Amino acid sequence: MKVLVIEDEEALKESIVAYLRQEGYLCDAAVDYKSALLKTASHHYACVVVDLTLPDGNGLNIVRSLKENYENTGIIIISAKNALDDKITGLEVGADDYLTKPFHLSELNARIKSVLRRRNFNGHKVLRVGEVEVQPDAAEATVAGKPLTLTRKEYDLLLYFVSNRNRVLTKESIAEYLWGDHIEMLDSLDFVYTHIKNLRRKIVEAGGADYIHTVYGLGYKFTSP
Amino acid sequence: MRVLTKTSLYYLLVSLVVFAVGGTSFYLMLREEIYDEVDDQLFTDKENIISYIRQHNRLPNVTSGISEAILVRDADPDNLIMEQLSDTLIYSSYDEEDIPFRQLTFTVYRQGKPYEYTIFKSLMDFQDLTESTVLAMFWIFLLLLVGLVYVNYYINKYTWRHFYDTLAKIKSYTLSRQKPLELQPSSTKEFEELNQVLQSMTGKIHSDYLNLKEFTENVSHEIQTPLAIVSSKVELFMQSENLTEEQAKLLSDMYGAVNRLARLNKSLILLTRIENREFKSKEQVPLHRLLQEQLTHLQDIISMRGLTVELEALEEVYLYMNSGLADILLQNLLNNAIKHNHQGGSIKVILTSHKLCIKNTGEAPQDQPERLFNRFHTGHDTVESLGIGLALVKKICNLYGHIPKYSFSAGEHSLCVYFT
Repeated sequence: MKVLVIEDEEALKESIVAYLRQEGYLCDAAVDYKSALLKTASHHYACVVVDLTLPDGNGLNIVRSLKENYENTGIIIISAKNALDDKITGLEVGADDYLTKPFHLSELNARIKSVLRRRNFNGHKVLRVGEVEVQPDAAEATVAGKPLTLTRKEYDLLLYFVSNRNRVLTKESIAEYLWGDHIEMLDSLDFVYTHIKNLRRKIVEAGGADYIHTVYGLGYKFTSP
Repeated sequence: MRVLTKTSLYYLLVSLVVFAVGGTSFYLMLREEIYDEVDDQLFTDKENIISYIRQHNRLPNVTSGISEAILVRDADPDNLIMEQLSDTLIYSSYDEEDIPFRQLTFTVYRQGKPYEYTIFKSLMDFQDLTESTVLAMFWIFLLLLVGLVYVNYYINKYTWRHFYDTLAKIKSYTLSRQKPLELQPSSTKEFEELNQVLQSMTGKIHSDYLNLKEFTENVSHEIQTPLAIVSSKVELFMQSENLTEEQAKLLSDMYGAVNRLARLNKSLILLTRIENREFKSKEQVPLHRLLQEQLTHLQDIISMRGLTVELEALEEVYLYMNSGLADILLQNLLNNAIKHNHQGGSIKVILTSHKLCIKNTGEAPQDQPERLFNRFHTGHDTVESLGIGLALVKKICNLYGHIPKYSFSAGEHSLCVYFT
């Protein structure tokens, strides 16, 4: 699956590309408006990650031209501007999602997966890791065919883990994914722990293996068997 | 007191004193003149009477001369009055009142025998004259006074008009507004000087303010990208397979710090954007609905801390504001109530058409409550919070003219926003 990253900041572009390559995507990159237009014109990408402020043009124009030519391409805007208006314009022009810099790579990854799923690429309607299955359309999860009774937050957490399987997820990124701007809550990191503990217990009780591991000092990892 | 009122009052006061002194001395002088005149007439009468007695060797008729009455009686030889002027009152049965008279008493010898003469002259006519003169004077003075005060007031008002114009403009002047201060030119030298000083002063402050603001904005925006790079690199680094525990700890600390910085930066940018009034779009925001949404969103955090939420009142309230800012406002108020609570505490929410109150149990504040609304001020040093939440609340309230108030009593913090 081909993904294009349009980001003028070399170092950031490399990080994103490296993370997405590890995830198994065929990753292309462009550092300016012109080469980005060229690339989008000559290749068909499943998803394009685009920075709005490019040295020689506005990323919004790329979004527009993509929408005209490749309606199916998923588009995620990454921008240093947190302006609500920019967000609304971006989404109105046809982007699927909007992330404000700085963001967690794992979060970007989860969003890309969600966009691809919605755009029905690859037919990944069901996410499967071992006995654990997540059906994002129905917001349901099963372990070895048995439905799991999860709270809203636990389900989100599981989806985040499954989207980033075999990756170290930091407590900060999990907290931000689950509570968004409420992250400022002083001990949300402890709540993350509680949620993970509950999720772990529920999966194990339903007969699944213990997939969630604590990575010392860093966070958690959902390992596929 | 306004300068106009003040000068008018002083003017009035001085005029009253001047008129009072002037009026009194005028009255005294008038009286002096009248007495002088009456006394002259009485002395003339006396001379006439004495010469009449010398010629005719008998007393004159009572009606003769100018005097109204002559009283003659035998003088007491032990107590002779040679000549004495005095005032007296004589009861008139016709007027049924005492009438003032001037009397002259003197002694004349006739055939070697002393007779005491008293001649009277009524002061009635003169008193009437005095009264009408004083009355006329009073009306003239009053008219003059009113006229002068009135004229003075309007002349002052006219000359001070530029001053008041300047004052009104400075009052409504805010730095964050983009326009520089523009004052009307005045022909009065002092006011013109004042305007020039004010204009150059605010001009300087304004440009300093703009520079500082631009600097802050640029710094905040430019920091975003390096932060994104550092954060992403650390995250990539974390995915490495063979990290030692020590390295992991270092990475985790770095990551935490970068995240904190990123959050801080985001909040600062938000504050600046509210100050710049960038949130222009407004709509009728259903506050009651937003409040319930936020509470649902925070439900798990609330229950994990064992807090109970009590909705004491929840009226339907629509506020005309930016919906994003309304969200941020509620979010920060609720976050605050959760953050500064203790395990098993309570949160009370009151939403009525004129106020929104969030009350929560918690430790007593350590210092002045007003400072809680300042940036980077946290109530308790131990808490790892940015201290920017309430500053945001205040900024948003200011933007829409609502008034945030904080109070603490009986172990309960109360943060209220009064709608206007």
